[in-house]
Amino acid sequence: MKRILIIDDLVDRAAWLKASLELAEYDVVGVLAWELVNEYSIQAASADVIIVDANAPGRDTLEQISLMSTTLEKPVVVLGGQKDSHSIQVAMRAGVSAYVAHTIQGEDLSGIIQVAAARFAEHKRLRDELKEARNQLVERKLVDQAKAILMVDHGYSEADAYKRMRSMAMSRSKRMAEIADAIILAKELSGA
Amino acid sequence: MICVSSYSPSSPNAIMADSAKGNIGSDAPELRGVKVGFIPLTDCASVIIASVMKFDEKYGIKIIPVKQPSWSAVRDKIVCGELHAAHMLYGMVYGVHLGIGGLQKDMAVLMTINNNGQGISLARHLEDKGVCDGSALARLIKAQPGEYTFAHTYPTGTHAMWLYYWLAHYGINPLSDISTITVPPTQMAANARVASMDGFCVGEPWNARGILKKTSFSVASSQDIWPDHPEKVLGCSAEFVRQYPNTARALVMAMLDAAKYIDSRANRAKVAEIISDKSYVDAPVDVIAGRFLGSYQDGLGKEWHDPNHIKFFNDGKVPFPYLSDGMWFLTQFKRWGLLKEDPDYLEIAHQINQIELYKQAASGINVPVPDNEMRRSVLMGDAPWDGSDPKQYAASFKVRA
Repeated sequence: MKRILIIDDLVDRAAWLKASLELAEYDVVGVLAWELVNEYSIQAASADVIIVDANAPGRDTLEQISLMSTTLEKPVVVLGGQKDSHSIQVAMRAGVSAYVAHTIQGEDLSGIIQVAAARFAEHKRLRDELKEARNQLVERKLVDQAKAILMVDHGYSEADAYKRMRSMAMSRSKRMAEIADAIILAKELSGA
Repeated sequence: MICVSSYSPSSPNAIMADSAKGNIGSDAPELRGVKVGFIPLTDCASVIIASVMKFDEKYGIKIIPVKQPSWSAVRDKIVCGELHAAHMLYGMVYGVHLGIGGLQKDMAVLMTINNNGQGISLARHLEDKGVCDGSALARLIKAQPGEYTFAHTYPTGTHAMWLYYWLAHYGINPLSDISTITVPPTQMAANARVASMDGFCVGEPWNARGILKKTSFSVASSQDIWPDHPEKVLGCSAEFVRQYPNTARALVMAMLDAAKYIDSRANRAKVAEIISDKSYVDAPVDVIAGRFLGSYQDGLGKEWHDPNHIKFFNDGKVPFPYLSDGMWFLTQFKRWGLLKEDPDYLEIAHQINQIELYKQAASGINVPVPDNEMRRSVLMGDAPWDGSDPKQYAASFKVRA
């Protein structure tokens, strides 16, 4: 978590922040003006953490870029406001980007960057797990539906229907859900 | 910024909750100061008017309007409790509730703030290519797919949905035929000038501003797409409604008074004057007033009066948080792949839209409440929408993800 991208239109403030981060041995990989923020510039920077100003309207632009691509989703530290460790904790617990004061010094910032990155990773892990669980549920539903088709149309028992799908999945090296999907599609195609 | 949760009694900044003590069991608002976020757009008017005209004090609260730099900031501050409520994009409240795009928090819609008053504009350089309407735009894009870029204001927001719907109506797939970007409302007109984008969907006065600045022209108003469509809502977290139901009710009452005031035609010029101030929308009053009063021009020489211009009250029909309105955004999330599976449409709308609380507030001040929690809408070109079969409706569109 050493590569930092700063996005700020105020050149002096960005330079001060850059110097302060470099003193704390961070690698500032770029300082971008907001009008240059797009998918390509964010990707090119390949930062671990992005630091932005709280009052920049362009934050919505950055949000869309990370929504569109899971690989570009980064922890964001938002600067602007008062130094208040309680508020930072509340924000980070909620999964909100870390909000910190502009006047914060390099060493304090270092701790916050580490915590923000850790919280971000934790939230992302939980979200990925939830997504995975949802996918599994969807796949199970598909398999059940396909099984029912085989049972009704071909008179297989439930166990046989499952076994047939399973052996086909193994011989074609496909996932069960893909086999099930094909059975359902074929059924739809036959106009039933 | 301070991001203090005023829900927590141990919070050092919970000063505003002081009046809560001693009010248990009463209808009196638990909070006096209520921080309400807004984005500089014409439709933030009821937040501003409720405060400036002191409608809030009638109900024992003091609204503190807090201008916000971005929708992301609004969301963060609602989630962590720094704002109590906010002027929010309808779809965005649903997006946060479902955790689309990261952050998840159970959310609430207290009321709809307005119908209508947004628009789609094309950049001036398209006029040079002979493109002045949707059909010509479709021909241009089909000839050069992937070459054009359109902007909206937030991925799950209303403007993204109006833009996608309108493009799809002309056979343009917004996910594969063009690129889309998010641009802050105030910067739309300027971005159209530098030719980095070819069109945009945004709330007023920013379409009108583009015409005045000669950077863009209008091809559709949002009411052309869906007459009397839901737009901004008064949003907050579900936690806020649970903790401070009386405050939430008082807030709705003050906002209803403001909505009624704004919809009285005699007051509109004055309202335009008030919200044009630097601390609110920060745009010339003339730019706001035109479309605010229904007087439209498209920047290509056509001028007309639109009877379906921005509405805030319309005899209580605007503010009612219809379940079918909320569900419509879910059908579009499904259509465009923001949701992979059909959600439980009705259940989610019930969770978010605070119908009971709204009815209490409205009936307390003699605002008519519609009989039905669903309404029938006719959108451009497609089947009518009445909320009765959302799954079928979501699947009915030819152009989709």
